[in-house]
Amino acid sequence: MTFALLAVFAIPTLSIPLVYFTGKKSPKVAAIFVALIALVNIALLLTTVPTILNSSTHQYTESYTWISVIKTSFTLFADGISVSIALVSLALILVAALFSITYMAGKKHLPVYYALLCMLSVGLVGVFITSNLLLFYFCWELMLVPAYFIIGEWGYRDSYKQAFKFFIYTHAGAVFVLLGIGATYIATGTTDMFQAQAALMTASSTLVKWILIALTAGFAVKMAVIPVHMWLPDAHSEAPAPMSALLSGVIISAGAYAILRLSLGMVFPAVGITFGTNFLHALSIVGVLSAFFGSLIALVSTDIKRLIAYSSIAHMGYIMFGLSLFPANAAAGTVVLLASSLAITGTVLHIISHALSKGLLFLTAGGVMHQTEKRDIRKMGGLASKMPFTAVSSTIAALSIGGAPPFACFISEFLIFVGAFQIIHVDSFYIIPTALMLIATVLSLAYMLRFTSNVFLGQPKDEEIEVSKEGKEEKKTLEVSNYMKLSFAILVVLIILVGIYPTFFLNLIQTVRIG
Amino acid sequence: MVEIIDVILPIFTLVIAALLTIPVFRLIRKSNYKTTLTLSWFIAVFAIAGATVANLALNYYSTPSPGIVSLGLSGTNSSIFSSAFLVDAISIYMAIIIVAISAVVLIYTVFAVGSNDRPSERYFAIMLMTTACLLGAVLAGDLLTLFIFWEAATAGAAFLMLYKKNAFSINATLKYLIMIIIASAFVVLGMSLVYGLTGTLNYLAVGQDLTTLSNSHLLIIAFIFIAAGYAIEAAIVPFHFWLPDAYTAAPAPSAAFLSALVDQGSYYILIRVLLYILLPSTLNWTIMLAVMAALTMIVGNLFALIQNDVKRLVAYICVADVGYNLVAISSVTSLGLIGNLYFFLIGGITTALAFMAVGIINSHGFKSLDDLSGLGKKMPLVCLALVMAGLSFAGVPPFGGFIGKYLVFTAAIEANLSWLAVIGVLTSVLQTAYLFRLIYVMYGKKSKDGTAVKESKRILIPIFILAGSLIILGLFPSIVLNLIHPVVHQLQSIIPNLPIV
Repeated sequence: MTFALLAVFAIPTLSIPLVYFTGKKSPKVAAIFVALIALVNIALLLTTVPTILNSSTHQYTESYTWISVIKTSFTLFADGISVSIALVSLALILVAALFSITYMAGKKHLPVYYALLCMLSVGLVGVFITSNLLLFYFCWELMLVPAYFIIGEWGYRDSYKQAFKFFIYTHAGAVFVLLGIGATYIATGTTDMFQAQAALMTASSTLVKWILIALTAGFAVKMAVIPVHMWLPDAHSEAPAPMSALLSGVIISAGAYAILRLSLGMVFPAVGITFGTNFLHALSIVGVLSAFFGSLIALVSTDIKRLIAYSSIAHMGYIMFGLSLFPANAAAGTVVLLASSLAITGTVLHIISHALSKGLLFLTAGGVMHQTEKRDIRKMGGLASKMPFTAVSSTIAALSIGGAPPFACFISEFLIFVGAFQIIHVDSFYIIPTALMLIATVLSLAYMLRFTSNVFLGQPKDEEIEVSKEGKEEKKTLEVSNYMKLSFAILVVLIILVGIYPTFFLNLIQTVRIG
Repeated sequence: MVEIIDVILPIFTLVIAALLTIPVFRLIRKSNYKTTLTLSWFIAVFAIAGATVANLALNYYSTPSPGIVSLGLSGTNSSIFSSAFLVDAISIYMAIIIVAISAVVLIYTVFAVGSNDRPSERYFAIMLMTTACLLGAVLAGDLLTLFIFWEAATAGAAFLMLYKKNAFSINATLKYLIMIIIASAFVVLGMSLVYGLTGTLNYLAVGQDLTTLSNSHLLIIAFIFIAAGYAIEAAIVPFHFWLPDAYTAAPAPSAAFLSALVDQGSYYILIRVLLYILLPSTLNWTIMLAVMAALTMIVGNLFALIQNDVKRLVAYICVADVGYNLVAISSVTSLGLIGNLYFFLIGGITTALAFMAVGIINSHGFKSLDDLSGLGKKMPLVCLALVMAGLSFAGVPPFGGFIGKYLVFTAAIEANLSWLAVIGVLTSVLQTAYLFRLIYVMYGKKSKDGTAVKESKRILIPIFILAGSLIILGLFPSIVLNLIHPVVHQLQSIIPNLPIV
């Protein structure tokens, strides 16, 4: 299909008003509409997979005229990395829409909510499937606006303030990305990232270093690693659960994707080996710090959503550490084959498996909050008997995040560490960070087990639920609705699939060449 | 081929329409369909004006790769002192956007003034006359013609501000008039020096003569006077203080008109005078202008941050916008010029949109940020328009402001003014902060009283024409950029070593 990627863009864009007007009649239909759009887009993206696997360049490209005056065309492309992450994003949009049916029921302005969700999917997927820098930025910012309004309007305590914080932080990061993109255009005369990569090799090395720093700093804000993590715990914990799932699942990972694709893929080959090595070491320190900081705070958090939010910071730390294992000789222009770099393959896989697991974890937490109307884990307990389906799903997600086999995150973390041991042979600097990251993995399992045991296991700490429920209609079960169950089930299946059979994604990822 | 008549026709159409407006309004005053008839009158006027401008554009572009065409009233360029016109890609572009935006603002004015108090025929006549003068100014080919038309336009602007005739607006208008008179005195003095130095006032001839000038002392003095004069009129910091008062005191349609058209006119003059006449190769003014740009962005945005009155807040955004335009001018690159022309169109549309929306909000008695609490639920459509304007100001896609800011900052990087680009993006974040505070107030806060507000539907038509055009220009900027692009090659004939996009 020749217009597959254009359709991925156009279908949700044109559907925004339709979703709105459908939502006016019935919000439930609008939610299913959004889910269907995501499903259609998944199908469209899958049509590009054969081309990616079989063509010699391992890329699928479509190009349309856009702003010819500044040499900017509407270039859409898909390669192994981008199509994998885009598929996962769409899967999360799909489950978020299904989950919202019950979760958002009874809230105000639902037509607007679903229209915004649809708009969010345009920007979110657009980021991954474009190779034009300006279009990339366009989508990058386009996902901010709906996210802002969703957090603000339908969030919890003081949500507009948290949404404001989220917007200002990420927008401030984004304007530096814009400067970086502008400088790239000036240095190379093109806004296509692959053409720019070649042209940057001959550009002034000072400018190239500044571009690298500006882009990476901007993306790091989105990733919410230390020291620019401050927006994340508030925004993620006060957002409505489907939005938290999307934020923690893919929106922050878009930062990691952008660092891999633009900072490391486009600018890094031109910075020279000394600067490049230092840069990677700095990334690994940021990664280790974030992993420890996030894990330690998650260990003591009592708010169900803040706990998960801090665990996201920790996992962005893993991903940042994984990115820092990028082969340093790429800074001298060597092409990196992902088939031979286990660390980067593992990192991309971790983006995927973390998105699925964290999405599920936030959704189950949302389910728990929705049914019990509590968010303090000290006041929960014994929920496993009352909501078994949620408990099982949540435990699977938690074990995956904790890095236990056979779930998705185990295999990706395993690959990152194997990659790290490979790199240690070359660069002994990584001995200490790798050792620390291994400790962080233990912490990660610890806080996830604490979460599970506090929420689902043991005796109910609070008799109030019992009393009120018995007083009403003797209702022993708090189980979530069928739509929520369906959304959990989809993610559980995906997590186990990726955990025991990661080959589909690994095959796609390993076709990619960077640099 | 462009003839002098093509140039004069649009100006004359609007002048005659302005003069006819008063008798026409007298005729239809008693009619039951007053609003409809008024509207049809203006639509007719702008249809004809639009046709004459289209005729000018088509005639101009009928020749392959048209250059800069100088036209004298006496038929030749040779006479030094005759009033002359100049047609090139910039002036065509300006003429098109002036007529288009003016038409939308006038439709809004018909609805806004009509609903509040008795429509005054003089008010509309002055708006049309000011539009005509602006057209004259952008099509002018020598400094004198420019001066005459531009001063007439600013005089018209003063009457538009004064419309409410309360103490505040009289005070603000007086401030404006004093500043404008000082400014025009400066400009006249500077121009007479230029005339003394070169013996001509024609743009191209002056530009040419100045490059071969042996002694630049007098030129520096002339430049200072001209630059200071136009800096006052464009409200560049530190000469900006008249603008917030004037735009706050002016009724909403006037504020929309002034910010969208008269402001753009002043940027046009800066571009014309700085890039076509007092070339940077003649006199290196880029650093001075860059510093002023930085100051203007910082001051405009900082003051906007502390405003509590919504209309004043928008007025300070106008000041900040001046700064972003100056960034583009001081870069002296073709990218900057394109960015500038694009940015001030978007800036004009956005400020007009913001003033129109604020005008409706004000007319229901909501003035301060506190009054706006929870207004997003009470007046959803007007507030949506204001949000769209805010997002465009902040440079958030998919609105036009984003492409404008990208072009402007990229141009600054190209001109080795990276520090200016960094200041630009930082102040842009500041801008986002106060605009999102506005959004927070409208949507996040609870309103103090639950009284519903009845939104008038028809007044939303011009507002959503502008809002829609912001989205369209953001998604498909090529529509305008292709129209602007010939400018680059024309400017290259004046500045030979201009970096090309």
